[in-house]
Amino acid sequence: MKKSTLTAFLMLLLGIKVNAQAPSIFNDSTKLLKEVKVTANAKKKIETDMKMAVTVDEFLATADNISFIKRGAYAWEPLLNNMSTERTTVTIDGMHVFGACTDKMDPITSYVESNNLSAVDVTSGQGGNMHGATIGGSIDMTRRSTPFGLDKKWNGSYQTGFEFNNSQFFNLGNVAYSTDKLVADGSIAFRKAGNYYDGYSNKVKHSQFQKFNSSLGLAYKTSPLSSVRLDAIFDRADNVGFPALPMDLWLSRALITSATYKQLFKDGWLRALDTKIYFNALEHYMDDTKRSENLVHMDMPGWSTTYGMLAKANFIRGDISSEVQLNLYDNRSIAEMTMYPQDRSKKTMFAYSWPWVTTRYGGLSINNSWDFSARSSLLFGGALGLNYNRSKYVEFNWIFHPGAPQQKTRLLPSLHASYQLKLNQFDFSVGTGYGHRAPSVSEAYGYYIYNSFDRYDYIGNPNLKNEISYEANASAGFKNEKFGIKAKVNVFSIQNYIIGRVLSLGSPMNYQSVGVKGYTSLSHAQLFNFSLNANYNILENLGWKGTLTYARATDEKGGNLPFIRPLSYQSSLSYRYRDFKFQTSVNGDLEQKNYSPEYGEDATPAYTVLNLSADYSFKLKNVSAVLQVAAENLLNQYYSTYADWGNIPRMGRNIYTSLKFKF
Amino acid sequence: MKPIAICAAIFCLALSACTKKKADYQAEIAKVVPEYIEFKEATSIESGAYRISIEALNGKFYKGYNELRIKVSDKQSKQEVKVSAVTFLPIITKADGTKASGPHRYQPNYLASEHYFSGYAVFTDESGANGEWDLYLSFDVASTSYRVQKRVQVEKQANKNLNMVSFKAKDGADYIIALVSPQKPKVAENALVAGIYRYNPPLDAPSGEFPDPGQFSYAEVGGYTLQLDPRMPEPSMGNHSSLNNKDLVQKDDGFYHGVVNYTMTGNWTLNLIMLNQQGQILKGTVVPTDFTPGVEGVKSELYIDILF
Ligand SMILES: [Cu+2]
Repeated sequence: MKKSTLTAFLMLLLGIKVNAQAPSIFNDSTKLLKEVKVTANAKKKIETDMKMAVTVDEFLATADNISFIKRGAYAWEPLLNNMSTERTTVTIDGMHVFGACTDKMDPITSYVESNNLSAVDVTSGQGGNMHGATIGGSIDMTRRSTPFGLDKKWNGSYQTGFEFNNSQFFNLGNVAYSTDKLVADGSIAFRKAGNYYDGYSNKVKHSQFQKFNSSLGLAYKTSPLSSVRLDAIFDRADNVGFPALPMDLWLSRALITSATYKQLFKDGWLRALDTKIYFNALEHYMDDTKRSENLVHMDMPGWSTTYGMLAKANFIRGDISSEVQLNLYDNRSIAEMTMYPQDRSKKTMFAYSWPWVTTRYGGLSINNSWDFSARSSLLFGGALGLNYNRSKYVEFNWIFHPGAPQQKTRLLPSLHASYQLKLNQFDFSVGTGYGHRAPSVSEAYGYYIYNSFDRYDYIGNPNLKNEISYEANASAGFKNEKFGIKAKVNVFSIQNYIIGRVLSLGSPMNYQSVGVKGYTSLSHAQLFNFSLNANYNILENLGWKGTLTYARATDEKGGNLPFIRPLSYQSSLSYRYRDFKFQTSVNGDLEQKNYSPEYGEDATPAYTVLNLSADYSFKLKNVSAVLQVAAENLLNQYYSTYADWGNIPRMGRNIYTSLKFKF
Repeated sequence: MKPIAICAAIFCLALSACTKKKADYQAEIAKVVPEYIEFKEATSIESGAYRISIEALNGKFYKGYNELRIKVSDKQSKQEVKVSAVTFLPIITKADGTKASGPHRYQPNYLASEHYFSGYAVFTDESGANGEWDLYLSFDVASTSYRVQKRVQVEKQANKNLNMVSFKAKDGADYIIALVSPQKPKVAENALVAGIYRYNPPLDAPSGEFPDPGQFSYAEVGGYTLQLDPRMPEPSMGNHSSLNNKDLVQKDDGFYHGVVNYTMTGNWTLNLIMLNQQGQILKGTVVPTDFTPGVEGVKSELYIDILF
């Protein structure tokens, strides 16, 4: 690895010399596609107001319906509408990738880098059914692709920076080559961080990480309206500490590849066809040898391999535009658990935590937008999917569920509709949705998966019913030149809500564990999310933004569900002066009162964090550059949020600086 | 195109690095636990015009429970011979000259459809320093009696799943419990089969020149119960157990049948409590059920270790 990172670095230096002009995030086909875009997605550029060189996680965190479970400094697990990755679909350009870690050390967002993405689409609820069955919604990360025939053949950017708290050093480089017929994209990213320090200036042990990411894309224009594109992402994380877990990551690697054929049509109903075949393979090897507190050495490798295809067609006829997508994929998830006895001459002990589980999905999704008057439009759509599971070594599942079927096929329907109204400066929407989801591999077939949060071993149940969601949402907004405000609310009533409940049967296997929990279905659960966003341009160069979110979730008995965000707020001011930009922001959560002791939660006190940043933009010959100096958690507040696994403290004061060049 | 090419080269380099292999689960289990399903001739004895063949699994006698098939044939024609009054008696002669036996079927029963006499022997020790085993057989052909003797080799049972245990119980009697099945357990629910045998001390002095079966008598005990609590004894497993296990009770075949679940491969201990027909404990103690990481699991006074 040392060698290749060095070469990577050399390559970056090389890249600087040859490059030119700012890359645009749309290529010619997406320009056309934009016109037929039907869902009202929040497309955002990969940069936050505060921070220029963000990680994918930090970027996602700025969406008001996304929160994170954090097990350390790396690979945060995104929650959408306070729902974790079982209830959402996370895709890369519509491609399904499934994590290879039973402990969720590797959400899909950890396999990409901010410099190989151009945007992230976050769609709430059933509106996010385009890529497959979901309850909470979808997060689709769009890869960067350079358009054909740019004025300048070569484009590039390079970004470097240092974060003082955890001595994180990063380098991100992009190169693109564009002619009328051929486009090539390349990106490379390298990050290395040490342990971070909390607000008491204590070192948080095992919070280091090291990541290397590279992507390649090649596109060829086969005709004026069609193109073929090959893409690959390679990601490698080494020596990643997870301070909240009893083990770390030794190595994780991912290869994510795809081939896409796009065809656009000038006239007729059919406007665009987009077909993609893809393959991705993930490997994940954990490491517990650096934890002296561990009595037992355990090997827990995991693998996840997915093949898939998707085909998307866009239609427009009169006031109605439609998007139809076919999704097919086949995933195999394997996780092993080998325990080594203290007397190494004795036989090791072995079990599968994922006993070679195959998941196949085939589904058709349709979304329509009908602009039936100048003021109002109706969005409606549906999906029907077939989900098949097979557990190869089903004997592991039979221990707790004797006679459970080895294979299971489920039908997953989804429906949604929403009405949108624009009245001068006001806009309103109301919507509803209905959808099913199949249990995840861990929920259905997991075997003695240790959850260090509530300290239980979790057992999957192949007989779980589909989770069924009934959803309602509404929003109201006002906007003029100076001021904007928007309130959004959604309610999910979920039947057969899947969650772990203590089993009186069986005894734990992992030595830190206190008991065994089995995944079961609650008859129902409710989730409520609310957000309020406002912005005010006080002066031409002085602006304010604020966000308030609140969520509440209860089970059938009115008990609290875990990982639900308490009332949280964010407020920021930005000021521009010539080539300078200054920002300050305050964010925090109120006390978490509605916690769930049953799932290992305790009350989390309120906290407030203050951040500051200053940017300076300048030009060096043809190169535009931005220099940023900033501080997060300026007051060095010691805190831990409701979703910090095991109450690990967050980072204390972090001063960072970064420099970005565009050619 | 150079930077892109370099990028591609890095890609290939990064891909070719090393990683771990997946476990070959099926092969791994097969390696630890040999399974024998085929009966082969373990020994043969000739007497007059006849040849007696004793078949056992894998053609070998092992310490512990051995199912046996006895066939008598004509030496010349190799045809099956009609014999009656077959007796079978294994005897170990220990280094100090004392003789003993193990549970066995003294009068093997003829299975007409299978053309053999069905019997068994539980060899309590392997051949060697501890003693040597001889088989004594007798049979009648058309009112003529034949008696034969053959020294045989009893080998170590490499498969711990066919372990046995001998002990003195609270009723003063000597017992032997021998595992019969499963030979090759799975991480799953396994049907567990064992034989329970009691030594009947001789009532009379030995008589006759051929060994007196009355001196070496074992009985298959009836109506007992073996309470089962399987656990992983390894300290790191913290006294881990499984669920849905069933105690062993006697069925029509004379064996004791129960259910054991193994949650993972490795060392397991079958902790047992033997109850008589009245439900009185003859041997065995209740083991702690607490999860105690780092502490070696406490075993019952009556247990059998297995491994797969
Ligand atoms: Cu992991």
